[in-house]
Amino acid sequence: MPAWSIISKWELKRSLTKFDRKTVSLLLLALVLIFVVTYAASMAGFGLNQKIYSVASSQPELNDIISNDPRFNVEYANEPWKLLGQDTKYDIIIINDRAYLSGTEKSAAAGKALENALINYRETILSSYKSIPDSHPVWVIVHDIDRPESFELLGDVRSMDTDTRQDTEAQQDTEAQQDTENDIEAGKDSDVSPEDVSEKDEHFVHPSERFEMDQQATITLFQTQTISTPSHFSPPIPFMAILYSFLFIFPIYIIAQLYSSSMMEERTNRKCQLLLAAPLRSIDIVLGKTAPYIITLMLLVIIISTFIQQPSTIREVTTVFSMALIMLPVILLFMALSFIAAIFSRSFKELTFSMVFLSVIVSGYLFFPAMFANIHAVSAISPMTLIVNLVEGNQIDVNTYLFSTVPFYLVSLSLYGLGTSIFNEENLFSQKNLISKSLDSIEKFLEFPGGSVFTLSLVSIPFIYMLQLMFIIILFNLPLPYSILIMIFLSAFVEELAKSIGILTIIKKKLEHINLKKATLLSILAGTGFFVGEKLISVITLTPIESSLFGFVMSMGPLLLLPLMLHVSATAIVGIGLYYLGHRYYLVLLLAATFVHSFYNIYLLRGILVG
Amino acid sequence: MDKLWPGRKVLAISKKESKGLLSEKTFLLTVFIQLFIATFSVFLIFGLTTFYDPGALQDFEMQSPQVGVFGNEESEFYDILVNSDIEVTYYEDFSEAYIDFYTREIDAIIEIPYEQADGEDLIDINVYMSRSELSATLVSINLKEPLEQFEEVVREVRTQRLPGYAPLDLDIESPKDGTTIINLEFIYVALLPLLLLTPAFISGGLVIDFITEEFEKKTVGLLLVSPVSLLDIISGKVLVAVFIVPIQSLAWMILLVLNGIEINNFLSILVLVSLIATILVTIGGSISLLVKERGIAQMFYSFILILMVMISYLYVNSPLNMITRLALDSIPLIESIYWLLLYTLIAIVLLLLLINSSRKGDIADIY
Repeated sequence: MPAWSIISKWELKRSLTKFDRKTVSLLLLALVLIFVVTYAASMAGFGLNQKIYSVASSQPELNDIISNDPRFNVEYANEPWKLLGQDTKYDIIIINDRAYLSGTEKSAAAGKALENALINYRETILSSYKSIPDSHPVWVIVHDIDRPESFELLGDVRSMDTDTRQDTEAQQDTEAQQDTENDIEAGKDSDVSPEDVSEKDEHFVHPSERFEMDQQATITLFQTQTISTPSHFSPPIPFMAILYSFLFIFPIYIIAQLYSSSMMEERTNRKCQLLLAAPLRSIDIVLGKTAPYIITLMLLVIIISTFIQQPSTIREVTTVFSMALIMLPVILLFMALSFIAAIFSRSFKELTFSMVFLSVIVSGYLFFPAMFANIHAVSAISPMTLIVNLVEGNQIDVNTYLFSTVPFYLVSLSLYGLGTSIFNEENLFSQKNLISKSLDSIEKFLEFPGGSVFTLSLVSIPFIYMLQLMFIIILFNLPLPYSILIMIFLSAFVEELAKSIGILTIIKKKLEHINLKKATLLSILAGTGFFVGEKLISVITLTPIESSLFGFVMSMGPLLLLPLMLHVSATAIVGIGLYYLGHRYYLVLLLAATFVHSFYNIYLLRGILVG
Repeated sequence: MDKLWPGRKVLAISKKESKGLLSEKTFLLTVFIQLFIATFSVFLIFGLTTFYDPGALQDFEMQSPQVGVFGNEESEFYDILVNSDIEVTYYEDFSEAYIDFYTREIDAIIEIPYEQADGEDLIDINVYMSRSELSATLVSINLKEPLEQFEEVVREVRTQRLPGYAPLDLDIESPKDGTTIINLEFIYVALLPLLLLTPAFISGGLVIDFITEEFEKKTVGLLLVSPVSLLDIISGKVLVAVFIVPIQSLAWMILLVLNGIEINNFLSILVLVSLIATILVTIGGSISLLVKERGIAQMFYSFILILMVMISYLYVNSPLNMITRLALDSIPLIESIYWLLLYTLIAIVLLLLLINSSRKGDIADIY
C-alpha cells in the first residue's frame, strides 16, 4: 500500500469524526430547507424588484392588471388629476386612458415597465383564445445553418507564410466572430471550391425539408428554441445552461472550504509535526490529504451531471463523463488554490479572506465568458463554456478541451509543486509573510536538480498565460484602443515579474556570488526560458483564438528574433540593475522593464491601434 | 464599580481583534473583492444594455447587419424590414441568397411569407443563420422590433375576429430622454443590495474565524483563567465584526453617489445594513459555539446564508428588496420604520440567544 493512501485513509476517518450525528442532521435540515425555499423562490420568479414603482390611478380594472406585475405598488386615487404637477411620491399617474410620468429617471423606467406589463397582459389574454391564427398569427422559425468561418476561407496559409499576417490583420474584425466548435470541420473543408458550395447548397436548399427535420427533432428542456412568436424571439444567451453549470461550482466551494480548513488545522497546534517526523515524503502527505477531497468532488460532479443529463442513450452517458472530465481541472485548480492559501495564511481570518478573494476571481474567470458561450471564440477559455455547450447538446472537440483546460492543469500542478516544496516545519509553523514564503519556495525550486532561472521562467508560463486570459476577461468590454493598451501594460508587467523573480531570489538570498557577467548571464537565461515556453504554449493552445485581436496581442505573431531580444534585454534591465543598486530597487527596475516591454509591443501593434 | 468591568473587558477583546485585522493586510483583499464585484457589474451593465438596446452599440461602430430576403416582395413585412436598421437585399430564391451567405456577403436569410394579414393561416417567417456566430446575435437583436411591428399589423386585422376581445387602450407618455430601464433596475435591484450587504456576509464568516481560532489554538482556556468570561470574549468579537460593516457600506454608498447614482434614505439604509450585520454575526457566533470546528462552522454558515438569500426572494421588504426600495425612495416612511423595528427585534432575540448560550458555556464544555 503506497504511503499516500494510508494518509488518505486517516484524513477520511478524521474528517468523518468531525461530523457527529447532531451536526449532520442540522446540515441536512439546512440543505432540505434550501431546496424547498429555492423551489418556492423559482415559482415566485426570483424577483427582488417587488414594489419599486408606485402608480396612482382611478381605473380599478386597470389597477388589477398592473398589480399583477410585482414591480408596481398601485393605489386607487379618487381624483388623480389633483396629483398632477405636484411633487408627489407617484412615478406614474393614470387619468382615464393616459399615463403621465413625473419626469424623473425612475419614472421613465416605470413607464417602460408599465408598457411591458401591458404587453405581457395582452399576451396572456390572447393565449386564452383557441384560435391561434388570429391571436398569435406570426411565428418565427430559426434554422441553424453552417458556413465556413472566415478564417477557413483564408486557409492554412498563415502558418506557412508570415507575410499573409497582413491579410489576417485586415480580417481581424470578422474573424473575432469565429467559433472554435467548428475546428474539426475547418480541417475538412479548408479549400472551399464552388462544387462544395453547391453541394451544401443542395443539402440546405429546401426550407420545407429543413422544417420537417426541425419538427421531428425531440425538443428537450435545454434545446435552444427554434420556433417562437416575435415577442419571445431572443438572441441566444444561454441563461438556463449557466444556471445549471452553477450547480457544479457550489459543491466545489463547500468542499474547498473544508479542505483548506483541514490543511490549516495541521499548522495550528503543529498537528502536522508528527506526520513530518514520520518517514514520509512531503509529497505523500500532501497527496494523501488531498486525494479524498478530489475523489469526493469528482463523485459529486458525476452525480450532478447525471441529474442534469438524465442519460438514456450511450451518447448521453458519454456527455456525463465529458462533463466530469471538464470539471476535473476546475476542481484541481480550486484545490490547489485552497492548498496554497492554507499554507500561506497566518490565521483563519487570513484564510477566509484569501479564499473568498480567490473564489471570486476564479468564478469570474469561469462564468463571465460562459455568458457569451454562443457568440465569441474567446469564450472557450473557460471550461464552463464547454459545460454550457454540452448542456445545450453540442459536441466538444479535443482541441477546444485542451485550449480551455491545459492552463488549469498546468497552474494547479505547479501550485502543488511549489506548495509541496515548502511543506516543511520551517514554513508551516512560522509566521513568515507571503513574499518571504514565495521567495522560499522559489529558492527551493532553484536548488532542485534541474532548477535554474531558465526552467523557472519556463514553469511560470502557464501562470502568466492564465493571468493574461483573466485580463482579457476583465478588459473584454472596454472600448477598443484602451483595452488593448491596458492589456499590453499588464501583460508586460506580469511577464517581467515572472522572468526576474528568480534573479531577485538569487541576489536577495545570496545563493550565488554575483558579478556583472553572472547577472547578464542570468538575465539571458531567464529571458530565453520565457521565450521558449511562450512559443511552446502558443503552439499548443492559442490556435483557437489566434486570429482574434486579443490572441494576437498574446502571441505577438510569428516573429522570432525580436521577441527573444526583447525578453532578454528587458530582463537584463532588472538583472543588471539589481546587481548595481541592490534588491531594494526591485520594484522600480521592474516598472522600467515593463515600460520598455510595453513600448515594444505598442510599436508592433501601432497599425491596429491607430487604424 | 464591578458593574463597569464587563464593558471594559469586552472592549479589550475588541481592541485585540481589530488590531489583528488591521495588521493582516489580507483585509485589503476583501475591499479589493468588493471593488472587483463593482467593476465586474459595470461590464455586465454594458453587456446587458448592448443585448437589449442595440442602439447603444452604434457608438462602437457596429455595422448594421446585412440580411438577404426572398419570397413575397409585396408583403408589409418586407416594407418594415427595408425601413428598419437592417440592410436588406432581395434575392430571387433561397439558393441565390445562400451563395452570398456562404461567402459572407450577408449574415442571415429571411423568407418573406406569402400569407396575407387578412388570411386564415399562420404566418411562418423562416430565418436562416449560423447560430454560433456573433452576427446571428446581432441579426436577432435587430430583427426583434420589425417582427413585433409586423405582428402588430397582422393582429390589428385578425384580433377583430376574436369574440369579446377589446385591446387595452392606455397611452403612456414617452419619457423625455432615452433612459434604459435595464440600467436602473440592474443598478438598484441587483448591484446596490449586493454591494451594501457583501460586508455583512463576510463579517458573519469572519466572526466564525475569530471564535473557532481560540478554540482550535486552545487559547480560550488561557483567556478564561484571566478575569474575562466566555461572554466577554464572544461579545468583544461580535462587536468588532458588526462594527466594521456600516463603515464599509458607507464607503460604498459615498462612492456610488460620487458616480452619479442617487441614493435616498442614507441613514435608514445604514441602520438596515447594521441590523442585518448583527443578525448574521450573531448567527455566525452561535454556529461557532455550537460546532467549534472552523471547516464545519463555515460550511454551516454558507448554508444558512444561501437559505436566507433564497428566503429574500419570497416576500416584500426582505433586506435585499428593502435596500432597493429605500434607495429608490419607493417605501413609505411608516412602512420602513415598521420593518426596521421588526429586524431590530430579530437581531435582539438572536443576540439574547447568543448571550445565553455563551453564559452557559464553561471550560469543561470547551475541551
